[in-house]
Amino acid sequence: MISNSLSSFIKRKEFILLVIFAFVFALMSVLAPGKFLRPYNIQSMAFQLPEFGILAIAMMVVIVSGGINLSITYTATLSSIVGAVAIVAMNQAGAADWEAILAGVVIALAIGLACGAINGFVVAYVGVTPMLVTLGTMTLFEGVSLNITKGGAISGFPDAFLWFGNEAVLGVPVPMILFLLVVLASWYLLGRSRFGFSVYMIGCNPRATMFSGINVKKVLFSVYLFSALLCAISGLIMSSRYNSAKESYGSSYLLQSLAAAVLGGTDIAGGHGSLSGTILAVMILQVISSGTNIIGVNRYLTNIIMGAILIFVLALNFLSSRREIRKI
Amino acid sequence: MGTRRRDHVKLKMRKGKEAGIFAVFIAISLVIAISSPVFLRIDNLFDLIKSNIVLGIMAIAMLPIILTGGIDVSVASIIAAVTVVIGNFMIGVSSNIFLVFVVGCASGVALGLINGLLIAKLKIPPIVATLGTMSIIIGVVLYLTNGTWITGIPKNFIEYGRTDIFVLAAREGEPIGLPIQFAFFVGAAVLMWFVLRYTLVGRGVYAMGGSVVSAERIGYDLDKITIFIYALEGFLVGLAGTVHTSIMRQVDPGAFNGFELQVIAAVVLGGASVLGGYGSVFGTIMGVALFSVLNNGLILMHIPVFWQKIVVGTVLIASISVDILQKRYSENRMTRVDIEQIEG
Repeated sequence: MISNSLSSFIKRKEFILLVIFAFVFALMSVLAPGKFLRPYNIQSMAFQLPEFGILAIAMMVVIVSGGINLSITYTATLSSIVGAVAIVAMNQAGAADWEAILAGVVIALAIGLACGAINGFVVAYVGVTPMLVTLGTMTLFEGVSLNITKGGAISGFPDAFLWFGNEAVLGVPVPMILFLLVVLASWYLLGRSRFGFSVYMIGCNPRATMFSGINVKKVLFSVYLFSALLCAISGLIMSSRYNSAKESYGSSYLLQSLAAAVLGGTDIAGGHGSLSGTILAVMILQVISSGTNIIGVNRYLTNIIMGAILIFVLALNFLSSRREIRKI
Repeated sequence: MGTRRRDHVKLKMRKGKEAGIFAVFIAISLVIAISSPVFLRIDNLFDLIKSNIVLGIMAIAMLPIILTGGIDVSVASIIAAVTVVIGNFMIGVSSNIFLVFVVGCASGVALGLINGLLIAKLKIPPIVATLGTMSIIIGVVLYLTNGTWITGIPKNFIEYGRTDIFVLAAREGEPIGLPIQFAFFVGAAVLMWFVLRYTLVGRGVYAMGGSVVSAERIGYDLDKITIFIYALEGFLVGLAGTVHTSIMRQVDPGAFNGFELQVIAAVVLGGASVLGGYGSVFGTIMGVALFSVLNNGLILMHIPVFWQKIVVGTVLIASISVDILQKRYSENRMTRVDIEQIEG
């Protein structure tokens, strides 16, 4: 019984990812002896990972529903910029720090939801292809952000705001705690709720889902809302970590999130994908980028490695699935 | 009877799509022309053409890929690679114009082939495969060049890039003429138009975009079609890279950061359906024209540069939404007609 479940676990994609993670982690520890495994480095990775991880989950949820969200990074920065403006304005108006921060956070989350509502409305109710909608909103959100910042960065937060991105509670970084909360919420929503079940069903076959009595439009709309809410949280972490808000923060995370979701076993056509796979993929990518950074590998080489891993894993997927088909 | 009638209506509707884009293009041009007299000046128009030739060629290159329901996000990295290759080739080996074009196109084809093989043979979804090759190609380019510009392009190539097809007038000593690069754009458009309309591969592209299963059952070799269109795309992107270098007279490996989204947006604005199966060279050219007129008009009307993205994004979303709503409306009407026929 135990060996049976063990062997089925070994065959799963998550296991392969876990092996890759262990391999990469060990490799980095060997290549950067005494540096990679330092508590300082582990902790700094724990500070960097959440903003990227949350964006990757935001991407993965949408991909599972059969779409794609190219606007994640600009949703994150737009909401954090508007939140930042509110915090700075209230701070200057003489409001207490906690009042300004609370208002800023609420406003940022609300803006995130508004961005998600635009995406969700056009995708679900108008019926435009998600890639196009989010390509358009990506440009739109970037434009609005630029219009607010005029190309610069917004800064001048009260010190208390930096707590979100830079402090640790009992040695656990606050961003990491937020990340764990997001993971927990996503796990519940995707894996344990009716909503999550419908999302997977829509990703497999929207028409059949509609005939089975699920309000496809409403679910799709909510998917984009949820995705955008996660983006707003990620945006807040980023602006706290960098002590400013700017439209270009995290723009490299867009393609990395897509890569992480796909690497984590999410089917780009929708219907399949696991939270644990995505998180493992995020961890792999984070270890590679931190590790190569420590070793002093040219950062362009890191790009090459990431791309090669992506193609390698997908090629492997294809070859192994073909072998299985042949066996049958 | 019913199906024939429906086909006829569908055909008309689709012709209407390009006409609609054309109408929007004319309307926007009119608004800009009225608010800024500079817009219709011949030198502005020629400048406009010159600065959008590269986008135009790349959009034409992307068209068949979108027609098959694929996508290529690595175009920007391919053109960056091509410009670096020909930059070094010109300085290190030969600046023979013909050879430079051959090398540019060949390196484009090589990179395009990699995408095509990954997608056709390893069945990696296009967006993921090209995402991977994008980060590899741009990584290699930036690693080798370290992001530094290549200057000192040989004189004869620069002179060639300054040639005009014909000269209309001169302003402040500078001749105002239609730049030679325009010929390559026309060439690319004609080539693609011919391939899509009159060749077996071209018809296969549309068949594949309509339905992969049906296309396969008719007997199209889908793998070959896929590899061919990505190679063709590489060829045209190679051409675009060479043309770009002849316009810019230097090579900036980072110049195309994010350019892939502009190319895709232009193709989509031109009416091509990302689900595949529908789109035309004329529509794509209209999309590029719309895109460039919008950008140019906003500059001429002194609208802050920050507004440009907002306008472009809004136009993109609005145009696709209107298109979808229109389609749904006419489909509704068609089913109503069918029901009336049955009842009558």
